Amino acid sequence: MIAGKLVDLRAPEMGDLARNTRWINDREVTQFLSVRYELSSAAEEAWLRDVVSAPMSFERPFFAIETKDGAHIGNTNLFDVRPEDRVAEMGIMIGEKPYWSRGYGSDAVRTLLRFAFDEMNLHRVQLFTYSFNHRAIAAYRKCGFVEEGRRRGARYRQGRHHDFIVMAVLRDEWRLRPDA
Amino acid sequence: MIAGKLVNLRAREFGDAERNARWSSDRELLALTGHRYPQSLAAIKPAVRGYASEPLSHADPRFAIETKDGVYIGNIRLSDVSSDDRHAQLSIMIGERSYWSKRYGSDAVRTLLRFAFREMNLHRVELYVYATNARAIAAYQKCGFVQEGIRRRAYYSRGVWVDVIVMSALACEWSEEAR
Amino acid sequence: MIEGKLVQLRAHEMTDLERYAAWFNDPDVTRFVGKRYPLSLLAEEAWLRENTGKPLSYDRVQFAIDTRAGVHIGSIGFNQTFPEDRRAVLGIVIGDKAYWSKGYGGDAMRTLLRFGFEEMNLYRIELTVDARNARALACYRKCGFVEEVRMRQGHFSEGAYHDGIWMGILRDEWAAQQTELQAAP
Repeated sequence: MIAGKLVDLRAPEMGDLARNTRWINDREVTQFLSVRYELSSAAEEAWLRDVVSAPMSFERPFFAIETKDGAHIGNTNLFDVRPEDRVAEMGIMIGEKPYWSRGYGSDAVRTLLRFAFDEMNLHRVQLFTYSFNHRAIAAYRKCGFVEEGRRRGARYRQGRHHDFIVMAVLRDEWRLRPDA
Repeated sequence: MIAGKLVNLRAREFGDAERNARWSSDRELLALTGHRYPQSLAAIKPAVRGYASEPLSHADPRFAIETKDGVYIGNIRLSDVSSDDRHAQLSIMIGERSYWSKRYGSDAVRTLLRFAFREMNLHRVELYVYATNARAIAAYQKCGFVQEGIRRRAYYSRGVWVDVIVMSALACEWSEEAR
Repeated sequence: MIEGKLVQLRAHEMTDLERYAAWFNDPDVTRFVGKRYPLSLLAEEAWLRENTGKPLSYDRVQFAIDTRAGVHIGSIGFNQTFPEDRRAVLGIVIGDKAYWSKGYGGDAMRTLLRFGFEEMNLYRIELTVDARNARALACYRKCGFVEEVRMRQGHFSEGAYHDGIWMGILRDEWAAQQTELQAAP
């Protein structure tokens, strides 16, 4: 378990299935994710079983986000981890909406960054987000991510095209931050 | 069961999995034992079932450490056992923190060393330990391990590179009485 | 193809099979390599099929060593890589004895070190060697490896136990060496 201030990151378990399925089919949650279609609980189960069955490693670090009271409120992960470049892409979902905008997501991101830089020895963590996801962009910025550019009109959601924003944080600049 | 003074070494059982999962979520413990990622119970269970289903042999001797009261407090194993060279690598984890620094770990190491030399007929047992883990290094020395050198900055943990110390015990130097 | 001065490193091919089978059954070659048992052609073929069947990647860095003239003389690679530690364990065999002690092995080592540090972004490269293997020790030292650990009676062969030696080279040391080489006339 990787301890943050408000949350802990733990290994995912099959017991997370019902919550994951509920979140991934909640349009309010998925409007900000790359998920577009509904997902059956069977498909979600197969996916989760695949994730939890293999020992967690450099290739696929995937964490459940828990509050200090043990409430599972979302998931966060690193993917496309490239050992030579020491670069990974980050994903996060706070599925429990009552926990939105209260610092839980930011704390999970900070905790994941610390793990990525101090334990996995990565050099850069990057992410992509929709230009309309202002809440997330502000939170990422607070965590040290810098907006590097936008892929114009790269994603189509809710009837129109949106820019896809590239944000990244480098270890050297992250190390200078008080929350590092 | 292999009897020590404070602990017994027994075969791994399927029921160990829950405790192993709990230990796997202890960051400080993980950092000391060279592990990085917390593991899900779903990943630990089939692994433990695998150890428990196979009769223990030369190939992969893994033991649970139990106090004399039957409390399961950690694991110890020999890996990379070479029958030709008659050597193996030792690793140990005391997962239950309340049993740290009370010589349970040392007793388990001594007990396994005796088994390795007297029953498995090994010639050399080696281990790797972080140079920062002074408590463990001192304990291994007391058990008869000799420091052979330092693999400089070989591991990365908690934001820094760490030197790794190589230690070994040889059957020809080891005497039970001296321990 | 990764170019050195005397050699070039390339991916293994199935056509290398008979040479490897011959080399790994030559006691002069295997003496210090830790290969104790004779190797069947079929077992060598299986290894080669496994290694040529998938693209080389961070976890699978195994090269054939060819001279610049295209003569296949050995193999070199990283037997293990640890991405978090940015560390790899190096192994090398010059199977064609006519090319021993002529700088081919050293050049292959330097070529792989450059690849490991400059392309794979490694931080430390390490290896173990039989303490009796003076020729290899001298070569590794010349390449910049430092003796770090003497494993007492670490392995058994020819009726006795022999020491093994861990050697390592760090990225900074390798970089300093490159600067020195460039500064030299």
